[in-house]
Amino acid sequence: MRARRAATAYLLILPFFAVFGLFWAGPIAASFLYSFTEWRGITPPSPVGLRNYENLLYDERFFTALGNTLWMAGLYVAIANTAALSLALALDSGWMRLRQFFRTAFFLPMTLSMVVAAVIFQLVYAGDIGLLAKLLAPLGIEIPALLRDPATAPYALVAMRVWRTTGYYAIIYLAGLQAISSELREAARLDGASELNVIRHVVLPGLKPVALFCIVLSTVSGLEMFDEPMVLTQGGPGDSTLTVVMFVYQQGFQFLQLGYAAAASYVLTVLIVLVSLVQRFWLRERGR
Amino acid sequence: MSDRLTPRRVLVILALFGVLAIIVMPWVWALLSSFKPRSEIMSTGFLPSEWLLDNYSGLFRDTLFVRWMFNSAVVSLSAAFLAMGLCGLAGYGFAKFDFPAKETLFLLVVASVSIPPFTTVIPLFGWMAKLGLLNTYPVLVLPFAASAFGLFMMRQYVSTLPDELFEAARIDGCGEARLFWSVVLPLARPALATVGILVFISSWNSFVWPLIFMRSNEMFTLPVGIAGMNSEQMAEYGLVMAAAVLSSVPMLLVFFAMQKQIIAGLTKGAVKG
Repeated sequence: MRARRAATAYLLILPFFAVFGLFWAGPIAASFLYSFTEWRGITPPSPVGLRNYENLLYDERFFTALGNTLWMAGLYVAIANTAALSLALALDSGWMRLRQFFRTAFFLPMTLSMVVAAVIFQLVYAGDIGLLAKLLAPLGIEIPALLRDPATAPYALVAMRVWRTTGYYAIIYLAGLQAISSELREAARLDGASELNVIRHVVLPGLKPVALFCIVLSTVSGLEMFDEPMVLTQGGPGDSTLTVVMFVYQQGFQFLQLGYAAAASYVLTVLIVLVSLVQRFWLRERGR
Repeated sequence: MSDRLTPRRVLVILALFGVLAIIVMPWVWALLSSFKPRSEIMSTGFLPSEWLLDNYSGLFRDTLFVRWMFNSAVVSLSAAFLAMGLCGLAGYGFAKFDFPAKETLFLLVVASVSIPPFTTVIPLFGWMAKLGLLNTYPVLVLPFAASAFGLFMMRQYVSTLPDELFEAARIDGCGEARLFWSVVLPLARPALATVGILVFISSWNSFVWPLIFMRSNEMFTLPVGIAGMNSEQMAEYGLVMAAAVLSSVPMLLVFFAMQKQIIAGLTKGAVKG
């Protein structure tokens, strides 16, 4: 009986795992093996041991990409989560009759593909003919072509990503807020706690699982940034928006250094796993 | 808690409308630009001097926009339906059966979620070339159908259905295939709908997969087609804006028709932790 039940179960999960094996598990394992080979696409891969990883250590462009990715992702996570939490608190305290309307409206940018958002934003950022410059001109603020200047291009990409996803995270935070019982908050208020103290001592601790989810999710997506630099800047100007995934794409699919690209991609994979573990641990510790 | 309109609430609402303006403005800008002739997009005015449909007719005449939209629709719909099948079956297996290596297999799927895109794409490119799948629909459908998120969702939902129900059906002589078809599927319909919609959205918006695996203009999906128009030497920004506007219409319709399932699906996992 038990064996038959198990056989049925394997039949049930077989279709999923056949596809999952071919398109996810298999390639993830194969990529790891390829990262120890020299592989130029046409010829079969030949093993080179750790040489790809050694070369990465001396590749200045890789470190530029790593640095850009880390600080852009960090900035994005900080701004998106702060803004999303503030929006959620505003929605939660705001007038309930409008809450549903705002929830829908704030979610809308998430339905746009990153590519469409990117082509729209290039006309927002396009120097004096861009929307931003036209809106700020009456205030006497001049906006240069943000994507053409290495000093501003990374910020422009981060801002665009914040625009697209903050509403989504705000809705998640809002769902978390509404799961915290309002009696608890009322009780704290009746005991004379100020609004700020209620938020600090009642609301924020209760929000921790939701915050963990949003922070990990936004960090992972930030570290994997590719669509925006690919469509808008090609990693430029002057490598200022070169991200690790962009670097992997160039090495793998423009220069056909597939083994090298696999190694770079694996470094990012390990980094992502480490960062999400550390965040999990840190948020849990601070919760006690 | 009362729901009166206090002065503080009015301030909060005004601030929220400010945020709304920031969210809406780029869309309005894209819409306005899509009606402008080329010379006006490059000038400093706000409104088109006259509202032209040239960009839209140009989009249909000079580009493969309709074909790209067709490709996107075929790929995303197939992925959504296939995902409902694969994740429904596997979710039922994980929720209601015990079998060796169950936890390991599930963890394997969980672990695959945060893998950066090219880690899988690099070996797959060669494999797909050997299988003759480059430039075909299945290569964009299959990976999205084996959705890790879909599996969590289905497992979680099916495990809330009472075990007695399944036992009773088995005692009545119901075979496993019929049990899945006439008990699990109908009961799990809300979860299946959510999985279908979310897979549809992620497939419709995906960029890396079609960028790498679709090799000819007439097999592109919308994101790759639009990115291509945008990167031409003398890009026609009016056309690009018209394409951006039109390509987001189907998604908006889907969103407004099913926003409850979409928002619930995207927030549920988070709040339960």
